[in-house]
Amino acid sequence: MRKHPLLNILLVTALCCIFLPLAVVLLWSVTGRWPWPGLLPESYTLRTVKELFFGSASLPKLLLSSISLALTVGILGTVIGVLTARATELYRFRGKSLVYMGSFFPLLVPGTVFAMGIQITLIRLGLSDTVTGVILVHLIAAVPYCITIMTDVTRSVGSKLEQQAQVLGATPLRSFFEVTLPSLLPGILSSVSMGFILSYSQYFTTLMVGGGRVKTIALVLVPYIQSGDRALSSVYSVAFVGSALLVFFLFEGTIHSIQKGEDSL
Amino acid sequence: MKNKTHIFLLLLPFLGISAMMCVSVWNVAVQSLGYIPAFGLTNLTLEYYKEVFRNPDFLSSVLVSLRIALWSAVFACILGVALSMALIKTQKARGATLYAIRLPILVPHAVVAVFVVQILGQTGLIARLGYALGLLEDYTEFPQLLYTPSYFGTVLAYLWKEIPFVAYFVLAFMSGISDTLGEAAENLGASPIRGFFEVTLPLSLNVIAKAFLIIFIFAFGGYELPLLLGSTLPKALSVQTYLSYMNPDLLQRPLAMAMNGTMLLLSAAISFAYALAIIGLNRKIGGAK
Repeated sequence: MRKHPLLNILLVTALCCIFLPLAVVLLWSVTGRWPWPGLLPESYTLRTVKELFFGSASLPKLLLSSISLALTVGILGTVIGVLTARATELYRFRGKSLVYMGSFFPLLVPGTVFAMGIQITLIRLGLSDTVTGVILVHLIAAVPYCITIMTDVTRSVGSKLEQQAQVLGATPLRSFFEVTLPSLLPGILSSVSMGFILSYSQYFTTLMVGGGRVKTIALVLVPYIQSGDRALSSVYSVAFVGSALLVFFLFEGTIHSIQKGEDSL
Repeated sequence: MKNKTHIFLLLLPFLGISAMMCVSVWNVAVQSLGYIPAFGLTNLTLEYYKEVFRNPDFLSSVLVSLRIALWSAVFACILGVALSMALIKTQKARGATLYAIRLPILVPHAVVAVFVVQILGQTGLIARLGYALGLLEDYTEFPQLLYTPSYFGTVLAYLWKEIPFVAYFVLAFMSGISDTLGEAAENLGASPIRGFFEVTLPLSLNVIAKAFLIIFIFAFGGYELPLLLGSTLPKALSVQTYLSYMNPDLLQRPLAMAMNGTMLLLSAAISFAYALAIIGLNRKIGGAK
């Protein structure tokens, strides 16, 4: 085993850069007074935490609506990913490379441009200022990643076992749900979690299409940052990141235990 | 025949999403050319593009956004690839270290803006450290890094998120190359550095270029970071465009769409350059075989 002092220094620096701001924001979220030039706060308070739970935008409700919105996007994006990947990986057809390119297309159009472009259509369809409209535009951000993840997994799982089940008499639907789906499950979970994260951190598209009617935690946080309220923007940041991490690690934990179960078979 | 229906049904939701993208691009295109019947505008004209290009503020917004995108993408790719190699060579490409590296991918951009203010602002942590070490006597002596036309804070915020993104994005591919061909080169006597620069890096350029393109376009059109960390003038292109778009004067709308159209054209140009680079790259690698 060779030693790599430079690479180790790089790794440690990276880890410091990642954790330092997280620690500072945690500290700010319970800070009462932290005047210049102190290196640590002068006093601590729970005022901000109280504001978070009982203030104008009650956090539990806000978190619930943000998380359910993002989970819906993650699940829908994954369904699209599973179906698209089945088409491209298990069938031969002309124009397949167009599908591959098309799934990359949303990443090539800036999100702001897309949102301003689609708005007039959403208004005509009566989807502006609705949750459905917001889900649709969030899907655009999530789908490229969901398709990529599901394509990789579908390619490696293949369709041999599914076909065998069908030869042995299972209906196509049953063989998909009972044979292929379980092996796709880790991929499906990471795709849902990716879609969740992408939707959860959207700001502009929600602002534009939600029109203030659809409230997410990102929408509540940004005005606090603009007004320069460090304590409140910190406490909302902590809630924002904390809830995202919680959901993410729930998914990761499930994936891990599935894979462990498979290994022990 | 049955297969064809199958494929079509499987692709239907994907086609729906693609249709939505196309409708949006179409809307931007026609509205920027002055066709908005709802506002009584029905003449197709290039006048709006001409008008925005005559506006010096708009031109500096274009330059600012291009600069943000370029610096973010260049440094995210260089440092992200280095980070990825560090993970691979120290055999930490899984487990707790990898989770820590993935953490910034989960953190929303707005929160990163909070980080940057708290660490790099004039009364931020680094300025306080400078004072504690006797390097400065007052926070006004700390260089103003945020809210300036250099958009330094914005780029730094993007880097905080995108360096780990690149590291994670290229990790699987690079570790595949490095563990096989890179190791082979080293076993044949190449130094690790030469093995990296002559084998692993060239063979991974495909996936690195993809990461570059994703970040470039994302940072080019990004909204909340330049809004929260940037200067009043020049504004980033997306921020300026949204202002015009929301202007109560409806005649501003086609101008806003011409700005969006410009953003689209520039994104298309960089995507096209990417495609050409990839074709050239594959020909080179293929030719070397």
